[in-house]
Amino acid sequence: MFMRSTYVDWIKELKWYDVAEERTGIHVDYISGPEEAADVYSEVDQRVISGDLPDAVMTKLAQTNVYGPQGVFADLAPYIEKYAPNLQKYIDDNPDYKALVSDADGHIYGLCKGTPIFADLIGYRVDHFKAAGIDPDSIVTVDDFTKALETLKAYYGKDNPNYYPLTGRDTAIRFASWFGAASNISSTESNGIYISGHYKDGSIDIMNDGAYKMAETMKKWYDEGLIQPEWVAGTFSEADWEAAMLNGNGSVFYDYYNRPEWFMENGGPDNDPNYQMGVLNFIKDDNGNPQKMPVSTKYNDECVTAVNANCSEDKIKTILTFIDYFYSEEGEILANYGVEGESFKDTNGDKEFIVDYQAEEATPAGEKRWSFLSDRFTVCKPVDNEAFFKWNAPLIAEATGRLFTDENLGTSYVLKFTDDQSKEVTNLLASVFDAQMSGIAQFIDGARELTPDNWAAFQQEMNDMGLSRIEEIQLAAYQAMYGA
Amino acid sequence: MPKRKAQTAVSAVPKASLGARIKKDIIKNHQLYLLMIPGFLLLILFKIGPVGAMVIAFEDFSAAKGVFGSTWVWLENFKRILQDPYIWKITKNTIILAFLSVVVVFPIPIIFSLFLNEVRTKWVRNTVQSLSFLPYFISAAVMVSIMYTLLSPTSGLINIIITKLGGTTTNFMAKPEWFRPFYVILEIWQTFGYSAIIYIAAMMNIDPTLYEAAELDGANRWTKMWRITLPCISTSVITMLIISVGNIFSVNLDRILLMYNTGTYATADVIQTYVYRIAFQSTGFPDYSYGTAVNVLKSIIAFVLVFIVNKIADKVSDARLF
Repeated sequence: MFMRSTYVDWIKELKWYDVAEERTGIHVDYISGPEEAADVYSEVDQRVISGDLPDAVMTKLAQTNVYGPQGVFADLAPYIEKYAPNLQKYIDDNPDYKALVSDADGHIYGLCKGTPIFADLIGYRVDHFKAAGIDPDSIVTVDDFTKALETLKAYYGKDNPNYYPLTGRDTAIRFASWFGAASNISSTESNGIYISGHYKDGSIDIMNDGAYKMAETMKKWYDEGLIQPEWVAGTFSEADWEAAMLNGNGSVFYDYYNRPEWFMENGGPDNDPNYQMGVLNFIKDDNGNPQKMPVSTKYNDECVTAVNANCSEDKIKTILTFIDYFYSEEGEILANYGVEGESFKDTNGDKEFIVDYQAEEATPAGEKRWSFLSDRFTVCKPVDNEAFFKWNAPLIAEATGRLFTDENLGTSYVLKFTDDQSKEVTNLLASVFDAQMSGIAQFIDGARELTPDNWAAFQQEMNDMGLSRIEEIQLAAYQAMYGA
Repeated sequence: MPKRKAQTAVSAVPKASLGARIKKDIIKNHQLYLLMIPGFLLLILFKIGPVGAMVIAFEDFSAAKGVFGSTWVWLENFKRILQDPYIWKITKNTIILAFLSVVVVFPIPIIFSLFLNEVRTKWVRNTVQSLSFLPYFISAAVMVSIMYTLLSPTSGLINIIITKLGGTTTNFMAKPEWFRPFYVILEIWQTFGYSAIIYIAAMMNIDPTLYEAAELDGANRWTKMWRITLPCISTSVITMLIISVGNIFSVNLDRILLMYNTGTYATADVIQTYVYRIAFQSTGFPDYSYGTAVNVLKSIIAFVLVFIVNKIADKVSDARLF
């Protein structure tokens, strides 16, 4: 099977994976692809052109949707029915999965992996808050959050010109959900760029009044030196952010759910014995009501297992038998908890890990370990969210237990497009998304004056470039998949 | 009369056919032709051959169907380009960047080589030449990270100097107005030593008696540089100019992608970055045909420009590339 090299490396480290091969009696030879995901998909294209496609590949749904009907990938539907009863049951029990992986005629050319559902968390330096006299529980609304940043700036920034309390990596335009302005989709409307992961990262509906308020607030943060300006400009790398959080040049971030623990394990307490990370509650609206945070999707359409159409029925049967095992009760327990007595114990149906998360995850790269980080792609399988969040350090396990509730988490949908829609939306995204992010950043850093008129002009510019067309295509795709 | 006889004698010799002449030439120079084969094969396989694949610009290309099996859409992709509201902005950005590259970058190695040629101490000249050539081997990633380090608003040398002089720090790498100057500075830094070698090589072939004659006439070094050296290397200069114009749309994609960020987007987004996003960073199904169509259009414009510059060069200085 051909897949991204990182994924192959992960598989080779997993103890439970070895058990799965032993139990099924099936051994898979992995072919390491490039390290970057985008390059992996390009190599799939090249392998298709050169006729050098291995028996199975990890690709993305957009490719299987096009190449499947063109005869590159096998239609797995009849074989699943014949050889993979557990997978078939999963498909039947999950109509959203069925809608995602099947085409209009019921063909299945690729199988998406399941992913845990989580939102980003607000990580903060507990020791900084304590020293500056901030009670983290007092931070409820955006205004409270801004006041906390101002207090931190006054305390730590007076002697350190490089101190900016709020810092981060990638795009700084990630606070739209705090203002009720995240991209969203339903059977009746589509607002903002939603596809391509932007239901969560880079999620914003610039037509929503909250988006203007977000720009206004972020401008205030920028003008008062509360937010790292290089981050807003897009010149602050991941390493810069990590350094800032480790050496005391930053106190708060809003990022991937397990990053607070990452700082604890990667030098925080070594740099400063008082170093302690914590996780703030989600920001509520101005009236103190909970808001829905954007979350990851239930399925990952960029980690899709497809089978070469040239494979014999026997080969397809073997591949599906292996995948089917992970959809069986035994396989699901193995992939999410490991082996009873070795990695977990079962007390009246309540499973608890008996191996230590931190010790196992600290195992040097390349060595075998118990690991159940189901946000990573290893094999095509469903995910037990409860097990996933249990397999975390106490800091994160507590935070996810406290915050990942129905009250706080929204729902994200994977959308599937027709060939023509896919082509059109791809081209539009190539111009609109970066222009939108750059435009918002210009309002924040003052390159463009933030006034209602200028904001309206910006909205119009984006629509002229194709934002409204992207929303139309997204809505059509949603309605085709989930019903109007 | 003897002259006439001689002419008759010459014309009486039958001229060998083209095939015979080629055969004779191959037999005579067979070793040279053998040496040429690997280079010729490489040229066909990796330069001329791939040009044929540009035909996918006229197709709705699918890797599964291949070049010969994909559906023909003829000029559909080109129509889409002309209807794409964004194409004009990135074309403008590309042209400005390319124009700056030619106008600012092109004269630097000429000036550098003219002055270097005047250095009399051989080891100094050789050392300077070698050092100037070194950046050519440094990767774009290293060069851009050096620039980021120098220009960092918190710890960069440039901003430290600015603040010491009473100014305020600037995040240069995030300012759209600074993207082009820094792109050009990196271009000069990386390529001027390499280009200078060509001019220095041309200077080596200048007849020394010209300088001696000029000295007898009382010419100083400045006069010799402008009246002898520069005119004598004009053919090389024009050749390089035509090549530069041919590459006018071939901006350094690696460098741009490394310097490209939310802040500089307004000036840094060019045709290549757009095509890259469509074809290789696509989150949907990559549109190779559209990306190729943009590149075909770009190549045609570049060819027309080369043709025009070649004509102008021919008229102005009797020097041309073809």
